Amino acid sequence: MLNIDNILKNVQKPSAYTGGELNSVVKNPDTVKIRYGFCFPDTYEVGMSHLGIKILYHVLNERNDTWCERVFAPWIDMEEEMRRTNTPLFALESRESVRHFDFLGFTLQYEMCYTNILNMLDLAGIPLLASERKEGDPFINAGGPCAYNPEPLAEICDFFTMGEGEEVINELMDAYIEWKNEGGKRIDYLKKIAKIEGIYVPCLYDVEYNEDNTIKSFTPNCPEAPAKVTKRIIKELDSVSFPDKFIVPYTNIVHDRISIEVFRGCIRGCRFCQAGMIYRPVREKSYKTLTNDAIKLINSTGYEELSLCSLSTSDYTEFPQLAEELLKVTEKEKIGLSLPSLRVDNFSLDLMEKVQKVRKSGLTFAPEAGTQRMRDVINKNVTEEDLLRSARLAFEGGWTTIKLYFMIGLPYETDEDILGIADLAHKVVEEYYKVSKNKKRPPSVNIGVSSFVPKPFTPFEWAMQNTREELRRKQQLLKNAITNRHVKYSYHESDVSVLEGIFARGDRRLNRVLIEAHKLGCKFDSWNETFDIEKWNEAFKNADVNPDFYVRERDYADLFPWDFVNIGVTREFLKRENEKAKEAATTPNCREKCSACGANTLCEGGKCSVTK
Amino acid sequence: MLQNNHFYARYKKFGRAKYISHLDMVRVFNRVFRRGGIPIAYSEGFNPHPKISFALPLSVFYESECEIMLFSVTESISTDELLERFSTVMPEGLEVIEVKEGKPDVKHLSYCLYNVYCNMPTQSQLDAFLNLGSMIVPKKTKSGIKDTDIRGDITDIKIEDGYMTMLLSAGSQANLKPDVVIKAMNKYIESYNSGDCEYLRKSIYTNDMVEI
Repeated sequence: MLNIDNILKNVQKPSAYTGGELNSVVKNPDTVKIRYGFCFPDTYEVGMSHLGIKILYHVLNERNDTWCERVFAPWIDMEEEMRRTNTPLFALESRESVRHFDFLGFTLQYEMCYTNILNMLDLAGIPLLASERKEGDPFINAGGPCAYNPEPLAEICDFFTMGEGEEVINELMDAYIEWKNEGGKRIDYLKKIAKIEGIYVPCLYDVEYNEDNTIKSFTPNCPEAPAKVTKRIIKELDSVSFPDKFIVPYTNIVHDRISIEVFRGCIRGCRFCQAGMIYRPVREKSYKTLTNDAIKLINSTGYEELSLCSLSTSDYTEFPQLAEELLKVTEKEKIGLSLPSLRVDNFSLDLMEKVQKVRKSGLTFAPEAGTQRMRDVINKNVTEEDLLRSARLAFEGGWTTIKLYFMIGLPYETDEDILGIADLAHKVVEEYYKVSKNKKRPPSVNIGVSSFVPKPFTPFEWAMQNTREELRRKQQLLKNAITNRHVKYSYHESDVSVLEGIFARGDRRLNRVLIEAHKLGCKFDSWNETFDIEKWNEAFKNADVNPDFYVRERDYADLFPWDFVNIGVTREFLKRENEKAKEAATTPNCREKCSACGANTLCEGGKCSVTK
Repeated sequence: MLQNNHFYARYKKFGRAKYISHLDMVRVFNRVFRRGGIPIAYSEGFNPHPKISFALPLSVFYESECEIMLFSVTESISTDELLERFSTVMPEGLEVIEVKEGKPDVKHLSYCLYNVYCNMPTQSQLDAFLNLGSMIVPKKTKSGIKDTDIRGDITDIKIEDGYMTMLLSAGSQANLKPDVVIKAMNKYIESYNSGDCEYLRKSIYTNDMVEI
């Protein structure tokens, strides 16, 4: 066990590095065959809030032959101390260096964490490039939503897991033990797992480029590697093992609460939304299972808050039953119930009255676009009338603060659509004065505007991304159009959005850029205090890669870096949706009418749970 | 509903738990109560919170054998039962050693005894130090960090086998922590260097030196 007592005295949040929290799993290293470091490439406070890490930690530690521990990116102050004292990156449970673990598994939740992966490998003393790793070095793997386009990390990670980790991870561990017993070489393990559905081993594929840097061909270079890698999904969510214990941190984390996963996938089909496509098909858990999960977790953690996790809580078919059951428990135990992604109607407002015995905090709506035409383009099936009715209901119910989320830089957008955002915000303020009983108390309408980033596996994967200059112009245009003092406007740094877009649709050539950026000291790029665009510009220059290449509009005939991944949803469906977007034609949600997206092919007998 | 019954628990804080800040302790105990099914009383109002308080805050990096937490419950329950429930649900590094009914005499809390593990001064160095009429060191006060004379808040310092004991003023009137004393020793004792120190709170007393 490393001695870090003295360096902990010099950091702001020592309890993020101590381990030993309630329900963390400690095993005897001599009795396990596999040491697995589950790495979250961001701070403890962010990583510990993530549900996926809890699920995989639980699944791996259910195995007697495996010890899964947590590894987070040390914050700047801790990294300085670690480098000063030559303390290597360590796992929280054992406080041992991860240098000789069997696996380090990174979860890729957002593109702007990629430099943290390199920094963590560097702190661990592990070669950054997969090709430089030797026999006995850990296998570096990655999964999560960004892994669906793994190419920007293809030279850094040894392999990727496509789809839902808990479905495939045991097969990877079993294969590892088999391989160990066989006494094979590193490459033998990689070839062995390339045959497992959902596993992508980048070194087993060759990429050829055209002169303009677009991809000419992408082909397996050995018989073990399949031409197409199909993502893995849990077929029966209700019967899969869900943790009955969560680790309870000592220090405050971002989402410090129990989270139960209500369903995966989404019936909505918003055209900008990657999550809505990659997590298909929709699979629900029964309200009875969920209530059981909740009770077990309350007893084992003592948490004071319970939250439901899904892309759209209101679309859960057993929501009224679930709410009723959970309320019984939470009222008795004095637990707060938080209900994110809830559509506002009479039912949900009643419910919020019941759960929010605390003062009425803000309500959040996400119209995403300012005009009806633009909302039709992105297939956000919300009308202005819907929004104003919801706002009216909320104001009548005593709420005074409303948050509205929008995007700018969407495909087929005009300035009129930007100005429409200001219009809509003003109408919400007007609505307040129509219904509010207490006119002396002003409303507060906060609009948060993010910049659209085109993502793979969405109908907008072909779209041109707005340049930073264009985004800045639109941000200013909107700013000047907001005339009401009750409307507060905030927006995202456009440099970060552009960079996110580059990596989201990037190719293998970006590995060089990442290495350069890491050398220049880029890390925590999603944090304002550490993001440095100058360093990034230099990194692109050093790597001789033109960032503008990745922002361009793509052609239907283009071969994409992520084309070898099969997520169920087909290219044809995405193309159809893009064509409909051009016409501002909407597509009904999955319950109204099946649009043949293709995700059903992943289900038992090809039957999607929504339409069966 | 029964009238609120007051209790207090004496607990140890050691090992990795010494990094838990005082503010985080309320949250930690709130969860302990829920896990243990202890019927803790809640405050009234819009945002009810469990009625928990602490006799004396403990700094991060300090260990303790004598922390006191005051709480109220809404159902009748024995001290033995409470101790039993605590013992099954406490996180690592926190251990309840005793539960008593009623309220401790926190009002008269005046002194605290600490063990300090560090490089030792000689007895004559220590004697000379304690003979100083004043010791001015930067100290955190309500209005920021200020140069403060701490001599009056040092009751006694003794050299033991491998550690020092320090009896210092504690409570809301005057409060002195041993790391500040160490700062003074490093400043005033010539050629003395304490090195890295470990602190352990041993016991707390009333103004009549009755252990709380």
